[in-house]
Amino acid sequence: MYHFNILYFDGKLSVTHQAILHLKPDHWIIQFTDQDSIEQIVRWEIDGIERDLGFNSLYIFRYGDFPKQTIECKDENLLVALKELYPGKPFFSKQINFLLSQNTTIITGLACALVGFIALAYFYILPWFAETVAENIPVSIETQMGETMYDNIITQYHKNDSLTRSVNDFVKEINFKTDYPVEVTVVKEDQMNAFALPGGHIVVFDKLLSKMKTKEELAALLAHEVAHVHYRHSLKSIFRSLSGYLLISLIFNDVNGIAAVLADNSNMLLNLSYSRKLEQDADEKAVEILQVNNLSLKGFADLFTLLKSESNDSKTLNLLSTHPLTDNRIKYAKDAAFHQRVVRNNDKLEEKWREIADQFK
Amino acid sequence: MEEKDLGQITFHGEGSKLFGIYIVNLLLTIFTLGLYYPWAKAALLQYVYQETEFEGSRFTFHGTGKEMFIGFIKAIGIFIVIYAFLILCILSKQPLIMSVGFLVTYAAFILLIPIAIHGSTKYRASRSSWRGIHFGYRGDRKEFLQEFIIGALITISTFGIYYFWFVVKIRKYIFRHLRFGSVSFSYNGGGTDYFRLNLKGYFLTFITLGIYFFWYVKDLFRFFVDNIQMEQNGEIVQFRSTTTAGGYFKLIFGNFFIVILTLGLGTPWATVRTINFIFSNILIEGKLDVNAIEQTEMDYRDATGEDISDMIDIGLV
Repeated sequence: MYHFNILYFDGKLSVTHQAILHLKPDHWIIQFTDQDSIEQIVRWEIDGIERDLGFNSLYIFRYGDFPKQTIECKDENLLVALKELYPGKPFFSKQINFLLSQNTTIITGLACALVGFIALAYFYILPWFAETVAENIPVSIETQMGETMYDNIITQYHKNDSLTRSVNDFVKEINFKTDYPVEVTVVKEDQMNAFALPGGHIVVFDKLLSKMKTKEELAALLAHEVAHVHYRHSLKSIFRSLSGYLLISLIFNDVNGIAAVLADNSNMLLNLSYSRKLEQDADEKAVEILQVNNLSLKGFADLFTLLKSESNDSKTLNLLSTHPLTDNRIKYAKDAAFHQRVVRNNDKLEEKWREIADQFK
Repeated sequence: MEEKDLGQITFHGEGSKLFGIYIVNLLLTIFTLGLYYPWAKAALLQYVYQETEFEGSRFTFHGTGKEMFIGFIKAIGIFIVIYAFLILCILSKQPLIMSVGFLVTYAAFILLIPIAIHGSTKYRASRSSWRGIHFGYRGDRKEFLQEFIIGALITISTFGIYYFWFVVKIRKYIFRHLRFGSVSFSYNGGGTDYFRLNLKGYFLTFITLGIYFFWYVKDLFRFFVDNIQMEQNGEIVQFRSTTTAGGYFKLIFGNFFIVILTLGLGTPWATVRTINFIFSNILIEGKLDVNAIEQTEMDYRDATGEDISDMIDIGLV
């Protein structure tokens, strides 16, 4: 019962020896006839024997110092015999691999758990984590990041110095209800757009300014962008898309390029819906800012109408994707304007607005 | 004494088994926050080797998670040092120090590539065996570094044209120093051929809107395989590729659909298909005496190169 047919390799030469393995209480005996027809006996002490991690029905054991001797056995009874003879010896300690070779239901279960976990991580855990990180970054680091981003971005544009000065004067007349310093830069660009960077930098394209008719529109735009700054929206988006991308590239690690592109785009879709939510938050905060300053919310609705007229233009699809402008948002602004109680005229702001508007005449 | 004229390596791996390994690996890697990664890699390699057969015997990968973990830690240490240096330079806000920082970082990364190739080839080879005989890589790190840096510099100064000669030279160096016991290897491709092949492949792929791509990869594979030689006691053994463009087409499209339709879960089956495809398309021609390969290598256990190469994501050879 304790004799098995095996293959024996001596570790010095690649020649295969058909051999017999005898299991003894404290050692193994390997017996074979070598190339020169000489009977050979090899003794393996139990303590020096190692078993290879096995995934198939081939059992491999090694022994000794380098170069190690090897035996291979296909007889499944060997395992039974080993269990009986050496119950204390950890020939079977490779739990994971044991589990792997045994149970398909466990594997299927694990696979389902994994898929579930990844989905959970992707839709809930990572976004939450990214948001928490973004929220807890010290203001000094945030400002520094914003500053670096601003320095990089602004070189791609032509700055309009006098408009920049005037708009910043305009900013000083409004209470934005935030601790962040608001710093506007107006650039020459033939598109209606504006964006905010972490820490307080806001970039406005001059085309958008030129199309505005009232100070309330500009105030609404600035309030909206300041809200992005205030809530750290760009930081949150960056962290979210980074974490999502990280997870996806982890899963699709070894997959070919096409799948990676697909995965990447699906991440973008999710981020887009997220950015719509951020826009909504910014709108709400902007309404609050305008109300505190007693500025008419009609300007807010006008701003959206203006932006919408532009987004019908096919060349600004970009704007559409990052600043989703739906009829809902116009309706929201109109409703807010309808319910607004206190509106006061602000002469000083009007004066600053004139200075800006005059530059387009 | 057994002599054969045509040999082939066969792969017996199964998608379902590999799937199990992937799942367990992924779960453990996630729950250990990545620390399990070296063990995951060891399990995967051990499985793939174990299911690879030549002349009735399976290959073995002896690398362990522990060895690769030590390498992993060292590799992380190296990256931390490099990044820390870069960040310090950036924080100084001095343009001069910042540019020095960037230059040093780039140089360090360029240096890491040959170190990683060398280290991981050496580690992989020494941890691979067949019938108890270990593979081995006897390249000299300094020599390899020198050759790599000179090649890289010429490549840069010729705007990339030399790249093809460079790749072939590196390949030649590696194969020349690769051993399988008493069997030695060599690579015979020429840079000019490689350049021509790529030029032709690139333009025809472009002109045919990508259709030629399958012939292009077939040619690349052939250039790689057909130029590999083994030598045993003066006997030359030649590798021969039998791939076709059609075969590549089936492989690539099949894998694409398997992966996409299963949202990535089918990746193990695609991997098995790929390995099967590669091995079933390599013929080994010549008289290799499979019973007379002698052990010649020493033990080697440093996996740092292996892990660096993982981190900078380079495919070997």
